[in-house]
Amino acid sequence: MQHWLTPSNFNKLALVVLALAATSILAACSPEHPQSTFGYGGPVARDQGDLFILIFWIAVAVFIVVEGAIIYAAIRYRRRDDKIPKQVHGNTKLEITWTVLPSIVIAAIAVPTIIGIWEQQRGAPTDMGDVLEVEAIGHRWWFEFRYPNQEVVTANEMHIPVGRPVNVQLASQDVIHSFWVPKLAGKIDMVPLNDNLLWFIAEEPGVYDGQCAEFCGIAHAHMRFRVIAHTEEGFQQWVAGMRTPPVAFESGSPEQQGQTLFATHCKTCHTDDSWRQDAYSLEIQQQDSRWATWLDDIENSRIVSAPNMTHYGDRLFLGAGIKENSRENLIKWINDPNDIKIGTSMQAHAAVYQERDDNKINLSSQEVENIADYLLGLVPGDIEQLAAPQITGGTPEERGEQLFVSIGCNACHSLDADTTIVGPSLIGIADRAGTRTSLSAEDYMRQSINDPAAFIVDGFTNSMVVPKLPASQVDDLIAYISTLK
Amino acid sequence: MASASATYEIKSEHGEVINTSTGLSNKKLLMWAFLGSDVMFFGSFIATFLVYRNRSLVGPYPADILDIPITSVSTFVLLMSSLAMVLALSYVQEGRKKLGTLWIFAVVVLGAIFLLFQVYEFNHFAKVGLTPRTNLFGTTFFILTGLHGAHVTLGVLWLMFLGFGSIKGTLRADNAIDLELAGLYWHFVDIVWIVIFTVIYLISARDVAPPGSVPWVPGAH
Amino acid sequence: MQTTHPGVGSEPISMRFPRIFPRPKSDYGIWSWISTVDHKRIGTLYAVTSFLWFLVGGIEALIMRLQLSQADNTLVDPELFNQLFTMHGTTMVFLVVMPLSAAFFNWLVPLQIGARDVAFPRLNALSYWIFLFGSLFLNFSWFVGDAPNGGWFGYAPNSHLAFNPTHGMTYWVIGLNILGIASIAAGLNFIVTILNMRAPGMTLTKMPVFTWMTFVTSVLIVLALPVLTVALIQLQVDRLYGTHFYNTAAGGDPVLWQHVFWLFGHPEVYILILPAMGIVSEILPVFSRKPLFGYTFLVFAGVAIGFMGWFVWSHHMFTVGLGPAANSAFAISTMAIAIPTGVKIFNWIGTMWGGSVRFSTAMLFAISFIAMFTIGGLSGVMHASVPTDAQQQDTYFVVAHFHYVLFGGAIMAIFGGIYFWWPKATGYMLSEGWGKANWLLMLIGFNLQFAPQHWLGLDGMPRRVFTYAENMGWENTNMYASAGGFLMAFGVLLFLINVFYSARKRVPAGDDPWDGRTLEWSIASPPPHYNFEKIPNVEHRDDWWFTKHPELIAEYYHDEHEGELRAPSGAQFDDDVEDEHHDEHTSDHHGDDDHGHGIHLPDMSYYPFILALGLTIVGAGLMTIIPVIIIGVVILLWGLIGWSMEPVNDPVPEGASHGH
Repeated sequence: MQHWLTPSNFNKLALVVLALAATSILAACSPEHPQSTFGYGGPVARDQGDLFILIFWIAVAVFIVVEGAIIYAAIRYRRRDDKIPKQVHGNTKLEITWTVLPSIVIAAIAVPTIIGIWEQQRGAPTDMGDVLEVEAIGHRWWFEFRYPNQEVVTANEMHIPVGRPVNVQLASQDVIHSFWVPKLAGKIDMVPLNDNLLWFIAEEPGVYDGQCAEFCGIAHAHMRFRVIAHTEEGFQQWVAGMRTPPVAFESGSPEQQGQTLFATHCKTCHTDDSWRQDAYSLEIQQQDSRWATWLDDIENSRIVSAPNMTHYGDRLFLGAGIKENSRENLIKWINDPNDIKIGTSMQAHAAVYQERDDNKINLSSQEVENIADYLLGLVPGDIEQLAAPQITGGTPEERGEQLFVSIGCNACHSLDADTTIVGPSLIGIADRAGTRTSLSAEDYMRQSINDPAAFIVDGFTNSMVVPKLPASQVDDLIAYISTLK
Repeated sequence: MASASATYEIKSEHGEVINTSTGLSNKKLLMWAFLGSDVMFFGSFIATFLVYRNRSLVGPYPADILDIPITSVSTFVLLMSSLAMVLALSYVQEGRKKLGTLWIFAVVVLGAIFLLFQVYEFNHFAKVGLTPRTNLFGTTFFILTGLHGAHVTLGVLWLMFLGFGSIKGTLRADNAIDLELAGLYWHFVDIVWIVIFTVIYLISARDVAPPGSVPWVPGAH
Repeated sequence: MQTTHPGVGSEPISMRFPRIFPRPKSDYGIWSWISTVDHKRIGTLYAVTSFLWFLVGGIEALIMRLQLSQADNTLVDPELFNQLFTMHGTTMVFLVVMPLSAAFFNWLVPLQIGARDVAFPRLNALSYWIFLFGSLFLNFSWFVGDAPNGGWFGYAPNSHLAFNPTHGMTYWVIGLNILGIASIAAGLNFIVTILNMRAPGMTLTKMPVFTWMTFVTSVLIVLALPVLTVALIQLQVDRLYGTHFYNTAAGGDPVLWQHVFWLFGHPEVYILILPAMGIVSEILPVFSRKPLFGYTFLVFAGVAIGFMGWFVWSHHMFTVGLGPAANSAFAISTMAIAIPTGVKIFNWIGTMWGGSVRFSTAMLFAISFIAMFTIGGLSGVMHASVPTDAQQQDTYFVVAHFHYVLFGGAIMAIFGGIYFWWPKATGYMLSEGWGKANWLLMLIGFNLQFAPQHWLGLDGMPRRVFTYAENMGWENTNMYASAGGFLMAFGVLLFLINVFYSARKRVPAGDDPWDGRTLEWSIASPPPHYNFEKIPNVEHRDDWWFTKHPELIAEYYHDEHEGELRAPSGAQFDDDVEDEHHDEHTSDHHGDDDHGHGIHLPDMSYYPFILALGLTIVGAGLMTIIPVIIIGVVILLWGLIGWSMEPVNDPVPEGASHGH
């Protein structure tokens, strides 16, 4: 029989075929896919990818040798006649060889592995720029992001600056989730009662897709999020924005009506004003108490942990990163969240859904649109104005009135005795101010502006944000407020 | 399971019974292998207990509630039952039926006394305010000691069965292996208790409220 | 001591215990199957049952593949999808690969070691019936609409009552505990059988490798399953009685569940693959007409894998946050286990090398096993490296990896084993033509399904998602995978066709159709009840082969150490040479014309069936239905007491005989 397939021929052929196959596989890495582990967005993902490529090529070599030997042996020693081959029972030298050789290969993989483990799992390096601390908390089925040093809290979209290590403290409130942004770093699980760390650096601004990677229940597939990397200035701006009140809505506008509806039906679970001073710790307390309330009576609870909605209008996606945050989608979502994302807690727990047999929202379509408009209108107001705007001319009362609007006092304090937005209505404050504490009316107002926490009116919480105002402007404001009879 | 196994003899060409390949009887080998399996069973529960040591969020904690002297007495009783077991087996093997029967029932009685101690302890703890639902200590304590108690109960029933067999004459010197198996099991259960006693009553007995937990106040439950 | 003489021993008691049914004696009819204690019949029961579950698990997989073939598909809702993947995994691990391996253990171990049955035939029957009832109980959950939905790994606290209020995971916990009892009982039985029931002369170093791997597997089962039992009991008392093992609100630690589960779960992986390695180690030498290359190393590597398998469990938990020190240690131990695995692969190739390789269907499956298992092993090393695993963990890369190990590995080998031993078990051949079509479709379909899944994982697709968005770039790859799945299913269908076709054709196999090497080929096909009329005297590894080819003995021992050089003991082999190839009933070859008379096998018993039934009913009752528990306990006690009072053999009237 003709032997075109000599061992050396065969090995060459196999090598060529397999090398071609392997190259085409790697070439098809599609780093542009949203969650490709080869679309390196920073050093951690790149190190992990490089290590994979190294092991991959070693594996290709082993693959060629082993599979080649299998095919070769099978073909070369196929049965041609009835002769019984030599009865070999083994060969100790060979055995030792193929025990030692793999050991060496394994050692070659083990060394970079151990180095990688210690580099990646010891927390963010301190020599690669200021470390940004973020706490990521997994909830069924959304992500909460807290910035303890910036006192910012948001959900499902994590904003970071490029070029700085981000140290993410991973936690979970309910079941195990996993934090995974393939282009930035491999995953680490978010385990209840266990503090885990993950760090990464994003090199380029952009939006990076992330997804929960640990099975966590019915909506596991829909538990996604984004990491939005800004330039340093962009990030600082975002932080400042998150601490700024939203653009004020005109009284009677759809947004303003939506705000009222939101306050009535949604606000028990969804905080929408964490831009306020001290709102950060308040929100953490509230999430804890929501969780405890839910756990206390899972079946009947009307309260459940829910994503923070502060400046929701700036979000790119809704439903934990599964749909574009458009008005149309938002209206659909508010009407029937389960239709977009099965398993959300809204219909299971919010009274406004429980009132109807079909579990859809018990509001008119106009009301739903108003809520949507309100939420989409939640974007940071002008940050510049907040830094003590320059107002000149006119009487102190006129300057105070301008100031009242421009720094956003009217966003929370209505000028209508029957309406309460967030803070107390200020109509008639001049008469009441002197009676609240032992201070005179003017001193009381001055104290309330400079240090809102000093006295809280019954039935309200302190969530007031005031920019640092020069004393003359405080006087102007007091002069104006004193006119509100 | 005393006579659950169904050994059969392999006859050689000349009709004599061939021994097993190892020389150990099948039943005995089975029991040893089973005990190996049970080691993993208790080992995992004991490991769980140790992992959860000092991690209860509310009381009562071990130091609040464990009564070492009483449990030492019951431990002594169980140890003595192992001694009785040795005597029972040796008399049965010698064919001394009355003494064998007597000592088998001595094991049964001592085992039952141990169980009564446990029933008392469980009841007492429940009254004072520790149940499997109270805290991690309660959960791990009751399930571990409870499953050990279940093993003892099984052993007591098995030995009763054998004891009656001894009275009726179906347990004799020639099938004393059945009692030997029960004995292996009984000694094993005894040894497991020594480990449990050490881990719970000796090592953990002084554990108080861990940092961050609420100290326990008797009667406040 | 001989129980053939009535009136001796413990019979008087048993006679007095009331029998509701007479002890069955018949060889045919359903009752003969229910009360059988014959290891071969029990093996057949295991095989048929677990193959049916294989089809069920396969259908579950196909539904999932259909759902995932397109982005944003709505064929199944997420709840059903979660139930499907939970039950697919649970079914394939506990109801297919383990019991299919058990079918091989049952059929082959006594035949390979020259025994007439396992050490405890009734315990063996009990294992099967518990397995059957447990598997039915587990799948009963489908019919009440509450199938388990927390994954085959049941991670707490997602499986905890607070987050999983349906009954599904309770079915899972109780069902697996019932199945665990069956596995442990079977494991104990095979440990004793292999250690104690070997024919004279069959030392441990002469045992066929399949028997060796059965032994290692049995030890692993006996030591690993109790750990699972512990985890399940903890979860069960949490779910049913409100304890706090995994209640995070009371400080219960979810990581503990993972440690306990994987301390069982990793040895479990070797429980699944070692029998397959054993099967392949039997097929390769036969169709290469060469002894297994490096027997000692192969056996030792199997033992080493079984041992090292206990020190690698945390590689399932590299992303849980155990810290760099623990992760480094487990990375190294995991990589180290690749070394004995590599040794095995090289020895299998060495077996073919220089041989005379015949491409029978069984051999094709065995060769595919080596090829596919190698791929699974290589990807295994990839995620032994923690940093790369951070990207691969819980993605389709891992799905691809373990399907290469468990389908490309275990199932391929099991199919090879079916083709190999089918003639022995039934007496007729499976069609080679259909068989090769079956092999080819399964191999192509398998690779088309799972090779692209490596890629899906690297492209960021997580596991256990019921759908994915359109723009992720995963659609085409998923479509290929789904197509591959259906091709594979078609391959399995060809197997079924082959079974029916061959059963009609009934081409007689003869005793030794493949020119086999081990003792099972020395007896009739199908083997008689008593297996060996005369217990063979074993002189060599592959004793039957050297019985047929005594001229090869010297060659085999040629370069062995001096001390082990063992010349064949003359007289016996002289007989064998004469008998070679001509002897239909080879057990006659010592001139014994006893024809099985006087061979004493245990009588049938229905108590294993009753005991298993009672146990399962008690398990069902644990779902807080007290009356059911009581009914179960009554049945269980009936089985238990009846069993312990029943003699292995009823007294036999003078002159009558059993076994025919």
